[in-house]
Amino acid sequence: MKVSELVEKAGLKAFNEQSDKDIQGVYISDMVSDIIGMKEGNLLVTLQTHKNLIAAANLVDVAAIVFSRGKTPAEDVIALANKVGIALLGFDGDTWTLAKKLCALGVG
Amino acid sequence: MITVGCNHKWAMTNIRSGYLVIEGCFHCRNRISFFSEEPVPPVDDYQEGDHFWSHLADFQASQFDLKCEKCSKEVPLKEVMATMLCMKCNPECGVFAVSSQDRDRKTWVYVALCANTSHASGKCVTEEGIRALNEYFNCGLQDPLKKIVVVPCALRKSVDTCHGIVLADVGLTELY
Repeated sequence: MKVSELVEKAGLKAFNEQSDKDIQGVYISDMVSDIIGMKEGNLLVTLQTHKNLIAAANLVDVAAIVFSRGKTPAEDVIALANKVGIALLGFDGDTWTLAKKLCALGVG
Repeated sequence: MITVGCNHKWAMTNIRSGYLVIEGCFHCRNRISFFSEEPVPPVDDYQEGDHFWSHLADFQASQFDLKCEKCSKEVPLKEVMATMLCMKCNPECGVFAVSSQDRDRKTWVYVALCANTSHASGKCVTEEGIRALNEYFNCGLQDPLKKIVVVPCALRKSVDTCHGIVLADVGLTELY
């Protein structure tokens, strides 16, 4: 599934506009030290909105990042995401609700 | 085991969770870091020869080695404390020079940070480790124009003025 299709079907908010990547899978984590072990092309679901996370997500080439529980990234975080070409998305509900929604949509 | 001519396919192995601990010597102003797998990171001051090491900070972090899935060769990366994204803050820095070389591609330079932050001993991450990290982080990139370049931290001009973003869980331990 493409990121744009997921945004529409899951009702996600887009914080920036980036290239429409294919989503190969889903990884849920709030620790930078954990996500550097992710496979490329995964959708990263997290609560963390700091810049360290963007730097790690770029290293492992994520498809996009979804911030759950209505978390909003700061301007400097969005600027870094734009620089490295990562789409930032938002979901108002909790991570478990999003995980169930992603499963229902056949993502991952 | 046959390793000659192997087009390695690296995977993470021996993944270790712990803390990146940074200490400073007020006497010589050098800094060192180490990886602690203790449940609680050590914070005590101690003397070591002419050095008086004091705890400066600690972050939750992880270490790993790389193992080739084809030939089983392992590259230990115990000396890598963390990686850091270069933010191109200083044109006089050796890492900046690397990040400026490949203008046609989306090149992102990451610095492999070794334990010897001030490089007083002259040691840094091994060439073999740097080569394996480059191969590992570039092998699955989906954008053909994107490139990850990992360099040793000995190239960095100054630890004190560097604006790089360290891939560690900064602030998490302050919750406790």
